[in-house]
Amino acid sequence: MEYNIRAYVDELFQNAPRTQKAYELKVELTQNLLDKYHALIAEGKSPEDAYNLTVVSIGDVRELFEGLEDTPTRTEPVYIPVGSPERRSAIITSVAVMLYILSVVPVIVLGSIPIPGLDILGVVLMFVMIALATGLLIYHNATRPKKKAPSGTVVEDFRQWQTKSTSNKQLLKAIRSAYWPLVTAFYFLLSFGTGKWHITWIVFLIAPAVDSIIKSVLILNDKEAK
Amino acid sequence: MSIASDVIRGHTDAVILAQLMLGDSYGYQINRAIELRTGGEYELKEATLYTAFRRLEQMGCITSYWGDESTGARRRYYSITPMGQQVYYAMLAEWDASKRLLETLIRPGQTS
Repeated sequence: MEYNIRAYVDELFQNAPRTQKAYELKVELTQNLLDKYHALIAEGKSPEDAYNLTVVSIGDVRELFEGLEDTPTRTEPVYIPVGSPERRSAIITSVAVMLYILSVVPVIVLGSIPIPGLDILGVVLMFVMIALATGLLIYHNATRPKKKAPSGTVVEDFRQWQTKSTSNKQLLKAIRSAYWPLVTAFYFLLSFGTGKWHITWIVFLIAPAVDSIIKSVLILNDKEAK
Repeated sequence: MSIASDVIRGHTDAVILAQLMLGDSYGYQINRAIELRTGGEYELKEATLYTAFRRLEQMGCITSYWGDESTGARRRYYSITPMGQQVYYAMLAEWDASKRLLETLIRPGQTS
């Protein structure tokens, strides 16, 4: 009969939220019901009567289950707060890209000043900035949440997946397949046109930066569209 | 009987706090005490009891802790807080006032 009481409580808690609070309540309720059951047996009730009286004494458990969720995890946030991962991601990417672009500035500026040693300093500064930017991107990728929070319904999930995989991915693919040939063509055009081969290689530094910018703009647009 | 139940149900919090004023206790013990005190005429449903516990705990009137029985039975004990005691006395005063008002209303012929 003790087993029956436990089984009865198990069944009651089938629909309860899976939280620590609910578990503790279950342990508490089970123990108190067993106490009651044993007391009834001690009074001379038959096991069947004691079991029935105990189970009846539980009452309506619906109100008991209300408020057992410890955090409102199920409700999706209506707006994206400032400190959200998406926004942080966009900021980090933008800063890294900016560093990539600006990294050539010290070389150009310090290289144009005719003092020996300054041009070396410019190159060193450039590499420092590139290292910083790369570090930022790596850090960002490493700390980005791997999985998106589960959204409400299957339909919603599907719609999200659909929009993402069709319009966005195909656009990205199209741009990227054309991108690098274009960059190479631009490099040769610029180099042959100006004859300044010593500086035009910078195109290959700027190109990945522009690539990243396009990507983050697309991501931001996507967020706003949702 | 049903009228009495309804009236008592409206004062479940006060009934539980009154029991805890006597000392820390756990669910079954509290309900048992209520049953004995009323000569078996009234006892709380478990669901009512635990809902009240949670409400009182959220209000800060009681705190709970797990007992360390050696027999393997883990019981959650409840303890009244100073704030809970204040609430209890406020409820008593409120009850006295309600009782007085109700007396004059349901026995209009008598002067109190």
